[in-house]
Amino acid sequence: MDFISNSDTQINEMLKSIGIKSIEELFSDIPESLKIPKPTIDDGLSESEGLDLMQKLAQKNSFASYDSYLGGGAYEHYVPAIVASICSKSEFLTSYTPYQAEASQGMLQIIFEYQSAICALTGMDVCNASLYDGASACAEACLMAMRLKKEKNVLLISESLNPHYRGLVNQYLKSHSVIIIDIPFNSSLEIDSETLDAHLASGNVIGFLTQSPNFFGTVEKLKPISEKLKQKNALFLLASNPLSYGIFASAQELDVDIAIGDSQPFGLPLAFGGPYVGYLACKSEFVRQMPGRIVGETVDSNGKRGFVLTLQAREQHIRREKATSNICTNQALAALATLVAIMWYGKQGVKELSLTNYQRACYLKENLKSIPGTTLFNPETTFNEFVVKFDKPLEEIQCIFRKNGIEPGISLNRYYPALKNSLLIAVTETKTKQQLDKYIEVAKECCK
Amino acid sequence: MTSQTLFEKSEKGQRAYSLPKSWEELKTYIPDAFLKRDGDIPLPEISELNLTRHFSGLAHKNVGIDNVFYPLGSCTMKLNPRINEVCASLEGFVKTHPLAPEETVQGNLQLIVELIEILCDLTGMTAGSLLPNAGSQGEFTGLQMIAAYHQKNGDLLRDEILIPDTAHGTNPATAAMSGFKTVNFKSNKNGDVDIEELKRLISPKTAGLMLTNPNTVGIFSPQILEISSLLHSAGALLYYDGANLNPLLNVARPGDMGFDVMHINLHKTFSTPHGGGGPGSGPVLCNDKLKDFLPTPYVLKRSGRYTIEWKKTSSIGSIATFHGNFAIYLRAYIYAKLHGNYGLRKIAEVAVLNANYLKSALGKYFTIPFSQHCMHEFVLQADNYIDRDIKALDIAKRMLDYGVYAPTVYFPLIIKECMLIEPTETESKSTLDRFIDIIKQICEEIQTNPTIVKTAPHTKSVTRLDEVRAVKNPILKHVT
Repeated sequence: MDFISNSDTQINEMLKSIGIKSIEELFSDIPESLKIPKPTIDDGLSESEGLDLMQKLAQKNSFASYDSYLGGGAYEHYVPAIVASICSKSEFLTSYTPYQAEASQGMLQIIFEYQSAICALTGMDVCNASLYDGASACAEACLMAMRLKKEKNVLLISESLNPHYRGLVNQYLKSHSVIIIDIPFNSSLEIDSETLDAHLASGNVIGFLTQSPNFFGTVEKLKPISEKLKQKNALFLLASNPLSYGIFASAQELDVDIAIGDSQPFGLPLAFGGPYVGYLACKSEFVRQMPGRIVGETVDSNGKRGFVLTLQAREQHIRREKATSNICTNQALAALATLVAIMWYGKQGVKELSLTNYQRACYLKENLKSIPGTTLFNPETTFNEFVVKFDKPLEEIQCIFRKNGIEPGISLNRYYPALKNSLLIAVTETKTKQQLDKYIEVAKECCK
Repeated sequence: MTSQTLFEKSEKGQRAYSLPKSWEELKTYIPDAFLKRDGDIPLPEISELNLTRHFSGLAHKNVGIDNVFYPLGSCTMKLNPRINEVCASLEGFVKTHPLAPEETVQGNLQLIVELIEILCDLTGMTAGSLLPNAGSQGEFTGLQMIAAYHQKNGDLLRDEILIPDTAHGTNPATAAMSGFKTVNFKSNKNGDVDIEELKRLISPKTAGLMLTNPNTVGIFSPQILEISSLLHSAGALLYYDGANLNPLLNVARPGDMGFDVMHINLHKTFSTPHGGGGPGSGPVLCNDKLKDFLPTPYVLKRSGRYTIEWKKTSSIGSIATFHGNFAIYLRAYIYAKLHGNYGLRKIAEVAVLNANYLKSALGKYFTIPFSQHCMHEFVLQADNYIDRDIKALDIAKRMLDYGVYAPTVYFPLIIKECMLIEPTETESKSTLDRFIDIIKQICEEIQTNPTIVKTAPHTKSVTRLDEVRAVKNPILKHVT
């Protein structure tokens, strides 16, 4: 099938009007040797056949039948019903980047509100219209920091930063002459502050990129670190799950310079990793080095309030090779989903949702740590996630859990060989007491 | 209509949310005071009804392809079939975690492998990756692969990327991000690559050429085989910017033209909705020379089952957090399956026919800088009325009053008062006729009542907006 409106009659009228006999003539600039034969048999599908095909593929995924405790940057949260309803509106779903502002006030105001919502959560001054995901937000933040501190050449990065984020940071920085120094974590999975101090002493540090809650779920003690960075005139780049800002110190309270992360926990389903949405917010003095689109408020010729894409002199379509980034299409509709979810929870709901996530994860964590045969790596404050080491081989443990319909967590072997036989276990508000009690029961069985 | 933000509509005590009930033990878990947030979260309080009305109100101030003709050049604004949306919301896909065990996501992995095969067949490439989250990320991936290729060959001097002046802004921006020097070159009088200029610029330092073909003035380069042979014999590679692939579907293939690596904007050619500025998806495809450098995770079929390689020797490494915009490229997969090769060819043919029909009709009103047949889009030079102080921008704004979206204006940069028009294959002749009529009427207005054009639009929720003020006095968020 196809979605072409014109019938053969209209096609013939158009050919006649152009003054040609066949559509083929329009392709005369293409060398004959490059032309491929026109398919003669209709090998398409009807809509119902297509749906059937997709349903069969979806059914080949058995994952939905498990109780999942996987996190690591992608979290299973309840998505309020209103999110899909708003995001599927034709005027949003089928519009382009708002180049013609007067016909795009809806989307422009949405982006303005999204920027405002991220600023409210993080406490930062300004936020852009979105980046692709958490990884690209981290990578762009590093490039931004390098532009802001051109005279320096060392970037410190926590080893407890999500390894999937770190992978893209390495990719983006590959062709730059910056020196990256890894800051390790200690035995309780917190930043090793002695190593950090030692590297900060050199005085050549652009900034420090860390994550809190970190990849292991540990909420880092960042206030003293932030002060040290300020003393050394180094920038503080903090990646965070925006939901954690519901109960933990805002980026502004921690004197962060560039706050980044992935807003997936608000309004975006797991969907095998995307689309999610990266956020990047910063202090106002850095706005002109920000990557990506930004929406600002202005007035029309009658003095009426309106919104436009602004500060575009930073962007690729104007500055070309001198732009702050190559990003063009971003994640607008995913940003809308995030906005709707944040607003549905609102001022009080975001706090309660955050606390609910904290408490349910605590419940499982506290109950697991007392089981003989397990070791809890991060006994201090964690959010959503924590790391448990099992005395038995992990494959054995995973097998028992899976037989019980549970996907118990992310194996850390692949990421950190030193954390062998350990699981990164994520709990969100979606887990009931019954489900968590079952997890505890199966864990006991595993450790017998 | 009010333009109050949600923040301004906040009413104390209103709420939309509900949360599952807590249980007794949970109340004992209180976060450490040292780590807690001190300040309030300055978010609004709003009921679900007020929330939904707010967004419905905003929808009325926006237009998409569902509402109006959207001839935005280089953006391929075609119908977004709703079957794509239905498929993307199937629970079996939506609930899968990106780090789920392979055996539990065989459906997803099969889709990834098969979509790459479909795209390879269409482009004449041999391997690919769906990881890049948008076109520019695809460009970045491709250039990193080109860099890796030269590095592996010990060809360390190659640090220049040649880019024509008609290129999308993302091309030079990406080249710079990837650590290359950009060498820009002028097009010839036909809007095509100036071969002599190209020959002059190719050197042992050339890493590659980035080219859009058909280019951004809608012209297919008849010299493409000569161009690729020039680059290849100098040891350089060719990158194909696939933003304009729509007119070539099952007509001609970038791989056969000599391109080594490319991206496709699935949110253009494969109709995944553009969503007001994304999410997009920009798969990268390449030939045998470059396939070892493709990013990870890499999905492949091995003895009847699908598996993920998270690390791979020679790979350039990571390009997205997980598997890219899965739920977006899933839509492209169903779109390709519905059309089949037969339907995809038809897309190309009608897209090109629609563009040429408009072009031949609009020549009456504006200068057509390039007279040859165009592909899926074409440029107009709307400078006929400069002496009356009417610019392309004014004409574009007036179009909004007539219930269509405006073409891309002032791009590409090589044409004065440029309008880039792309109707796509899904529009009917009657819609195109109406558009021609609108242009005719606006041209008449310029003669009879230029002010109405100069001050357009008049029928939208706002009139012409003050962009200078937005830059001089940036208000970038709600302030209490």
